[in-house]
Amino acid sequence: MTFGGIDLGSTTGKAVVIIDDKIILGDIVMATPKPAVTARMAMDAALKNAGIASLQSLDYIVSTGYGRLKVEFANENISEISCHAKGAFHLMPSVRTIIDIGGQDCKAIALNDKGGTLGFEMNERCAAGTGRFFQVMAKVLGCGLEGIGAAANISPTAANISNQCSVFAESEIITLVNNDVPLPDVITGINKSVASRVSSLARRAGVAEDVVISGGCYNNEGLISALGQCLGVEIMKLPLNPQFMGALGAAVFAKEKAAAKTAAK
Amino acid sequence: MKSGLRSEVFEKLSRIAGAISSPEVMEWKKKGGKVIGYTCSFVPEELFVAAGMLPFRIRATGSQDAGKADDYFEAANVCSLIRHTFGKILSGEYDFIDGAVIGGGCDGGRHILDNWEKSPAKIPFLERIFIPHASNELTAGYFHDQLARLKARMEEHFGIKIGDDKLRDAIRLCNEIRGLQRELYAFRISDNPPITGAETVAAIVAGSSMPKQEYRDDLKKLIGELKAVVVPEKKYTARVMIVGPGHDDASLCDIVESLGGLVVADLTCFGGKVMFGSVKEDGADPLQAIADYQVLIRPFCPKNLGAHPSINKELFAKIKEFKVGGVIGQIFLCCDTWGGEIHILGKEFRAAGVPLLRIERECTSDSTGQLQTRVQAFIETISGGAL
Repeated sequence: MTFGGIDLGSTTGKAVVIIDDKIILGDIVMATPKPAVTARMAMDAALKNAGIASLQSLDYIVSTGYGRLKVEFANENISEISCHAKGAFHLMPSVRTIIDIGGQDCKAIALNDKGGTLGFEMNERCAAGTGRFFQVMAKVLGCGLEGIGAAANISPTAANISNQCSVFAESEIITLVNNDVPLPDVITGINKSVASRVSSLARRAGVAEDVVISGGCYNNEGLISALGQCLGVEIMKLPLNPQFMGALGAAVFAKEKAAAKTAAK
Repeated sequence: MKSGLRSEVFEKLSRIAGAISSPEVMEWKKKGGKVIGYTCSFVPEELFVAAGMLPFRIRATGSQDAGKADDYFEAANVCSLIRHTFGKILSGEYDFIDGAVIGGGCDGGRHILDNWEKSPAKIPFLERIFIPHASNELTAGYFHDQLARLKARMEEHFGIKIGDDKLRDAIRLCNEIRGLQRELYAFRISDNPPITGAETVAAIVAGSSMPKQEYRDDLKKLIGELKAVVVPEKKYTARVMIVGPGHDDASLCDIVESLGGLVVADLTCFGGKVMFGSVKEDGADPLQAIADYQVLIRPFCPKNLGAHPSINKELFAKIKEFKVGGVIGQIFLCCDTWGGEIHILGKEFRAAGVPLLRIERECTSDSTGQLQTRVQAFIETISGGAL
């Protein structure tokens, strides 16, 4: 049997197909102004990678992410908090804390040893500590997101970024650049600033090892390093692209839901 | 999830709660009746009812923009509810009231009066009463004096006499309404009630926005209908309680209930707090009886020094009685009064194994995307996972 999970986030759409126990990832699709179109593009990519001709071949589909209610072809929707937890625990049952840094929000999720959500914390109405913050800073520095995340830019002499508001931090960084502070110092300062905010969120949710990162910021090595230092733990790597954790969790839910419905008959 | 309630009287109450002015209030005015607006649930309606007036709780229903109000508040850290409520006053939507009494429950609320006085939104009668922040015999006496002063000001301004007999009649009517509201509220103790949380909020809010006798009769009718209705079998995913400041906008209940949950109880200024207990009906001094009720009997407000034990006791009693599975602590932006209280309660809930979702937001019902995600995840969590 085949199952689909789709994560329609604020900046990207991702889909996963599960055929029996095999996980097939789609592509990262940039969000279009129409969520329904993004959803279809993301799912088509996953179907193509799975060698499945049509959407109708999927037995059950679960949607998640901010656009989850706009996915017309989904059988039901589940919050991304539950889906990230489900996806990460499915791949790594030792996971107890998930830090998801998405395009416009950031969450910390605490799990029990059965993979159930013990609690969660989420940023409120502010772009600090989210992918958007990095986008703004990358634009100011002209180094691209790759430059912000590059291991080569981790510096032992980080600049101090005191503002966590994206708007005020932007002007602070312009000042640092104008004062000829070396780029790696500024970048490390940015990553430390975000790590400080995110780790505070994580501590409120409750941090227990293993700790993993999901969402689009997973490949920012400077951030991962700073987060590990802030939390005093080693951040573990998930065995599949962490940007797909929401979609994977949705697909695992789809499989479980379909089984539960079959059992109920 | 809607209850499927089909009731003309409920539709009427819901319509009244969902707007500020209503045909019922306009009809009252047409007949020569006076309307007196008030803020804060500690301002006693009995005094206005005894004066033959319609007490109207000033609220921010439907506000999307507090822009004009922000011109008046000198500090940026004023609670969202206060800013939006004053925005409604400036918009002219309260032009139908004949006077207003501002309760100095919290500092933010007090600023409404200061700003109203210097705004172009003129009102012929604008008074304040200071609401004690401590519950004891001394402050109950002080509040009695506040009420006596307000009564004298009303008598002078409106050319009326508010006698003890009228006060006693008003106490009896308001007590009867509180009793009916408690009866309505208690439907949700059952697993499959005939009325939802959002519907209950609407039916309670209407009570402070229409003629009292008419409301009493409507409430009796509604309760009769609810007792008679055969409720279709429904399975709710979670039984939720909401704690926090004024909550006349049922949008949070709507979100919980659209996700398959049920809001079964609350401790908010428009909900469970307004119907608690009764004013003593046979006291020698009815004004003192009203003051005792507000100061000594229902101190469930974090504005009160030392109120926390009674808030805790009331909440845990409700958690047990209404079989609450999780609590949403809702704070409006910059409401430090409730912000601190929910921080303390959070520790106690955690120790007792009661799940808590803390939400801080604007008091308006916009920006529901992130709110919906958090509430959905909370319901999935307390209902034992998404499965």
